[in-house]
Amino acid sequence: MPAPLKVVIVGGGTSGWMSAAALVAGLPPGLCEVRLVESDEIGIVGVGEATLPQIKDFNDHIGVDEADFMRQTQATFKLGIEFVDWGFKGSSYIHPFGVHGKPLGGVPFYQYWAKARLNGRVDDLGDYSLPIVASRQNRFAFPSTDEDGLSSNFAYAYHFDAHLYARFLRGFAEARGLRRTEGRIVDVTLKPEDGHIASIRLESGEVIAGDLFIDCSGFRSMLMGQALGVGYEDWTPWLPCDRAYAVPCERAGALTPYTRSTAREAGWQWRIPLQHRTGNGYVYSSRFISDDEAAATLLANLDGKALDDPRPLRFQAGRRETSWSRNCIAIGLASGFLEPLESTSIYLIQVAITNLLKLLPGRAIDPALVSEFNRLIDVEYGRVRDFLILHYHLNGRDDAPLWRYCREMPVPDSLKSRMALFEHRGHIAKYKDGLFQPPSWLAVFVGQGLLPAGYDPLVDNVLQEHILRELDQFRADVAQTVEEMRDHGGFVADFCAAPANRPLSSRVAS
Amino acid sequence: MSRPVRNVVIVGRDAAAWLTALGLKRAFGRQGVNVTVLELPSMVRSADVLVGLPTLEGLHRLLGLDTDDMLAATAGAYALGQQFANWSQARPPFVHAYDTHGAPIHRIDFLQHWLKARSEGMNVPLEEFSLGAAAAKHGRFVVHGDATSGFSKARAGYHLDASAYIRLVRQKAIELGVQRQAGKLGEVVRSDSGIVSVSLAGGEPLAADLFVDASGVDAVLIGKVLEQPLESWSPWFGCDRVLVTSGPKLNPLPAMSRISGFKAGWIGMFPLRDRTPVVAAYDSRRISDAEMLQSASVLCGMRLGDAFVAPCEPGMRSAPWTGNCVAIGEAAVVLEPLDAASLHMIHVGLSHLITLFPVSAEAMLEAEPFNTSMQNHARNLRDFQIVHYRLNGRLDEPFWDRARETPPPPELAAKLDLFAARGAVALYDDETFQEENWASVLIGHGLIPRGYDPQVDTLAPDELIAAFQRMLGFIASTVRDMPSVEAQLELFAPLPSNASF
Repeated sequence: MPAPLKVVIVGGGTSGWMSAAALVAGLPPGLCEVRLVESDEIGIVGVGEATLPQIKDFNDHIGVDEADFMRQTQATFKLGIEFVDWGFKGSSYIHPFGVHGKPLGGVPFYQYWAKARLNGRVDDLGDYSLPIVASRQNRFAFPSTDEDGLSSNFAYAYHFDAHLYARFLRGFAEARGLRRTEGRIVDVTLKPEDGHIASIRLESGEVIAGDLFIDCSGFRSMLMGQALGVGYEDWTPWLPCDRAYAVPCERAGALTPYTRSTAREAGWQWRIPLQHRTGNGYVYSSRFISDDEAAATLLANLDGKALDDPRPLRFQAGRRETSWSRNCIAIGLASGFLEPLESTSIYLIQVAITNLLKLLPGRAIDPALVSEFNRLIDVEYGRVRDFLILHYHLNGRDDAPLWRYCREMPVPDSLKSRMALFEHRGHIAKYKDGLFQPPSWLAVFVGQGLLPAGYDPLVDNVLQEHILRELDQFRADVAQTVEEMRDHGGFVADFCAAPANRPLSSRVAS
Repeated sequence: MSRPVRNVVIVGRDAAAWLTALGLKRAFGRQGVNVTVLELPSMVRSADVLVGLPTLEGLHRLLGLDTDDMLAATAGAYALGQQFANWSQARPPFVHAYDTHGAPIHRIDFLQHWLKARSEGMNVPLEEFSLGAAAAKHGRFVVHGDATSGFSKARAGYHLDASAYIRLVRQKAIELGVQRQAGKLGEVVRSDSGIVSVSLAGGEPLAADLFVDASGVDAVLIGKVLEQPLESWSPWFGCDRVLVTSGPKLNPLPAMSRISGFKAGWIGMFPLRDRTPVVAAYDSRRISDAEMLQSASVLCGMRLGDAFVAPCEPGMRSAPWTGNCVAIGEAAVVLEPLDAASLHMIHVGLSHLITLFPVSAEAMLEAEPFNTSMQNHARNLRDFQIVHYRLNGRLDEPFWDRARETPPPPELAAKLDLFAARGAVALYDDETFQEENWASVLIGHGLIPRGYDPQVDTLAPDELIAAFQRMLGFIASTVRDMPSVEAQLELFAPLPSNASF
């Protein structure tokens, strides 16, 4: 076997430790020698505390025990995201991790719903989604493995403390041979012959050489942006939010199995329920509100007492022109920033790691691998970007200038035509790679008030009475199945209570 | 809601016209959509064959056709893949089977292990690890069981007599209520938004909400009336003629198509149960029609019947759906009669038209996603065909030297680069062929990747050898127990004369 590939990860945080864990546990031993350099002085951003269901595949792939990981990260389950006051004030909808209804005669269920609605039926599309109905009642259960059943028709993700997740993965990776070095990087040396990164030098004087460098240094993008000078594509014309305040607060009320995003005058506020506290933040555009006002708005809209001062964050929507250049791969914020409106931050980290493992180079890096990696990452960022823009663009709010701006701004043609086709006949095109399949688009379109004026003509092959019967039956089945699910708070307490949150009786017993 | 589409007029002929008529009538007839075919004189010759991929079964389901009945009525036969011979002077023939190769070892794709073993001197060809290829070479049909279904995705494609197939589809369509008028095209009245009416010579004008151009390369509506140009793809191909003829039945019946390169093109045999259709694509500047006919007999090693020659210019119209007119089949996209492309493009066009059947006769927004998807499908399939030319190994023959030296389209160039680097396949939106098909053809034509996934290096060589031997043993013993394609056809789709007693 050839000598191991020397991989140097720059930066801890979620992206650094996810990369480290995947490289040591997702690859055969002896293939790579992985080092991670992080500085204790530099904080991590870690706002990405809400995830998408793909994270479970990542954890499973590297061999993380689910209950153990949840205990150690104060995690709760997540069935979707509730959007409050998006589209118009007073509205609320949930984007679920699952489909609405089940297809009939090869045609998506919602097409039948669209026809019934046009014929006067008044109901809520959410009633046909198990994860939505379960979310509304704060219930949870694992999906069943019976493929035809209603209860296998959804997925779940987690809310967790990103600092604790990074710490958990650090323990996981170090136990499997990862070498971590504390220190601040003061210099990066490039090879004169090809401009590849030769080594980094730490404040201590130590020089660390490597074959492959992974830039997980966050917004600063120390290797990709600073050392290699790869430019940044600005997406703020479409996604104008550029700042945030984050603050945790005390928990109050039932433990909700969903993230909440509430639209505010100059942006939106997140609410992420963890076991021991609730994470909150206000993502806003500095063009439309002052920092002080933003912080005050956030503090005025918490469930419980704030547990800290609001922490400010600054960012610019967009991404690096390439995510892999020479022998350097940028992962996480070093490769781009998209606001966490649809919990995509950790997903984008994961997808970069998965593609890196798939296209893992040897010591000499074949440029074809680099091109393919960049092509795949381009697709991912582009898809997420358009989906986020939709949330802002599709609104009828007249109460604040941000919302007027977003409604009137020019959007990418691909998005315009998706909206037009949905309105025309409920059509949502699928694509092969990338996030957000038709059920997600459906939830946002309908939730924000874009309703189809027509429907798939194949629907007319089914008798109207039969359609109504199917709709009633499915809605009843969903309600019945949710009845049998457990209260989310109780489920979490039994399955994965973090040590300090465990009820006294069980602590005594253990 | 605006005025719905109630009347569809299909102007065309042969498979594209009748499959579309049957498909639309079956999908929308119940709700009162009228479908009329203005049938132009057929361009099908007695020797013609239709070649289907395994997915043809899906089209048949959509149309309410029983594939076994179709096989019986058309003296049809199974093709588990295609053999390519003489595409290189140095390389042996290979089989592109509709199947995967081997099974993953430690979650790593089999191809990666094969590449490593090959780089260390193993000389077992990739296709030896494909159950479908083994069956194809032995004239057998893969009947899946518990043991095979985890290892192989082998499925059969089809060879069908074109005249008999079209006759049957036409009959089904008419039984279902499709109206038919036959003759030559008369006047077409157009407006700014498309077509108002069409008539046959000497006939009454027929108005409709939606027109389908299924007239083949004539493209009487989309090309001649709506003036959508054909973007030519000829430079990547080089053949400008197709000859079709037929020889006697082969005994035993092969389980695959056989495509053979020669100095000025390629010639293929597509066996049926009562005869053997032969198709040759060639460059008429390098070989005359008469020479081609003579050579065909020699190249196939059999006596051949009547021959028919037609021009062939691959290309596509970038907006096959323009206004209220949708082109299906060769009116929209022309590919070489290779890799089952012609019938497959009809299938793709029709199934997209059903999925995107316009909801309004006034505003057909569906044209945009339809055109995008058709362009993707056509270009991906075109690229698959270009591979045969680009990677040929017939050195010092001007036709083939030119084909080898023509730079491929950019998406294909990226695909070839990635595969050459590490045996990975970049799949784009709307691909007909999947990783295993691309790998089979790329490797078969001699594009051996220079690298492989470094994870493979962590495996002990003994483990690898043992796994390979198990797979080869499994394939050998499984193929031995399979029925011949002839026996399988006799059981499920017997020819009418044999079924009579």
